[in-house]
Amino acid sequence: MKHSFIDKYGNLDSFIHRLDARIKLIALFSFILIAVSEPRGILCPFIWYGMIIAFLVLASRVPVRFILGRCLVVSPFILLAAVFFPLSSMITGDFRGFEAYRYEYAVALSIALKAFSAIILLTLLVSTEKFHNLLLGLRQMKMPRLVGIISALMYRYIFILSDEALKTNMARESRTPGKLKMNKFRVYGNQSAMIFLRSLDRSRIIYNSMLSRGFTGEFPAMRDTGITAKDAAFLFFFILILLAIRLTNPGILCLNNLIRF
Amino acid sequence: MSAGIHIRNLSFSYSGGKPALKNVSLDVKPGGKLGIIGPSGSGKSTLLLHLNGILNDGHGHVEIGGTKVEKKTLPEIRKMVGLVFQNPDDQLFNPTVEEDVEFGPLNFGYTREEVSLRVREALRSMNLSGFEKLTSHHLSLGERKRVALATVLAISPRVIAFDEPFSSLDPGMISQLVALINNLDATLVIVSQLLMPLIACCQDIAVLRDGEIQAAGPKEEILRDRDLLRSNGMDPGFYLDIYQEYFM
Repeated sequence: MKHSFIDKYGNLDSFIHRLDARIKLIALFSFILIAVSEPRGILCPFIWYGMIIAFLVLASRVPVRFILGRCLVVSPFILLAAVFFPLSSMITGDFRGFEAYRYEYAVALSIALKAFSAIILLTLLVSTEKFHNLLLGLRQMKMPRLVGIISALMYRYIFILSDEALKTNMARESRTPGKLKMNKFRVYGNQSAMIFLRSLDRSRIIYNSMLSRGFTGEFPAMRDTGITAKDAAFLFFFILILLAIRLTNPGILCLNNLIRF
Repeated sequence: MSAGIHIRNLSFSYSGGKPALKNVSLDVKPGGKLGIIGPSGSGKSTLLLHLNGILNDGHGHVEIGGTKVEKKTLPEIRKMVGLVFQNPDDQLFNPTVEEDVEFGPLNFGYTREEVSLRVREALRSMNLSGFEKLTSHHLSLGERKRVALATVLAISPRVIAFDEPFSSLDPGMISQLVALINNLDATLVIVSQLLMPLIACCQDIAVLRDGEIQAAGPKEEILRDRDLLRSNGMDPGFYLDIYQEYFM
């Protein structure tokens, strides 16, 4: 069976991969907090944020295409939210012509930029750390133990579900010459029920195999999880740069000036 | 260093089901190799799950290396008894071979250096050096079976219990696995429907049917009793008859 693991680039080696999971989590939350707190319609700082993101992506060695692919998946939702803002102003008030809604366009663009920046960094986070190390980092940051275990087991059980779905699909297709002629809803309904029942059974066996190898509810990590001076320095300068952009609002290369919003 | 197994009057029923084990008593001396045969649904896998304490709420007494299997001794028991499941996909749930093999040693609290050493050694003993970064799902069934065994060997168990290790393997892979099993330094309990490889691995054989031990003893003694084997659907003479009919 072919699986796509969300942390499939977690084994690469780069300075971002080597950072402690907690440092990456704090850096991500800081970025989201600072970028989201930018006033509505302000676009200029996103050139600088964009440069930071581009640097991090290139330094991580995670393929740019992979990250853009992930962005593409969520882009309909982001674009819908962004487009909705100027449209709602046009519909609810007196329509003053497209030219009159420059501020609304700027707000829409800033919403999209904030969302895409967060998505790219989130993708980068899960691509540069093994999933169980991330959970371990979250646990060390006082995430409840139960949430950690449920997340770890869910991550593993997704593959069981997809395995069973692939198997039942093959079984159905092997006996379906061409198009499905029987009642489709009934066939797919039965198939879905069977996938869940079989997955439940297999999950139980897998859990037994984990217990037999000493599993007690924690997923131990192989990697050293100590925060080093390099980690701390990275976080310090990262937040410092973000705060500098946020507070000084540098005007060089400002998109607002270039396109005269 | 291997450990002995001592089972007395073990009975167990799944909730709402008929009894899966009835008064089972068995002994395996340290370093012994016991094969368990019997028709499907006879309770063989259920018996294996009791050795590791996965099932521990039955009536009776199970003792491994002098330690009684009960809730408070489970960490010790699980370190002592390795279970190799029938379907390797049930045992391999991590993205890479290395992560699956290190899962057990990490849970038992070994140091990182020790874990690395154990992973390397377990993979080497299964002829899987170089497979560390591969995805288990992309390996052949024979390779996945060997990885599953490596995940158990990395814990250095004193008892290894196999559930149908030879099923779905071609004869070449079976002979390879038999050779690997015969090199293991542990007490072995092997459940199998395939009699021939079992004979090649074990000194003693127990026959289980409907949750009850029908017979147990040295393999020569059990194999000589063709009525016993036939009544339990395990008669190897069936294959001999076909061979004689077509090739002799």
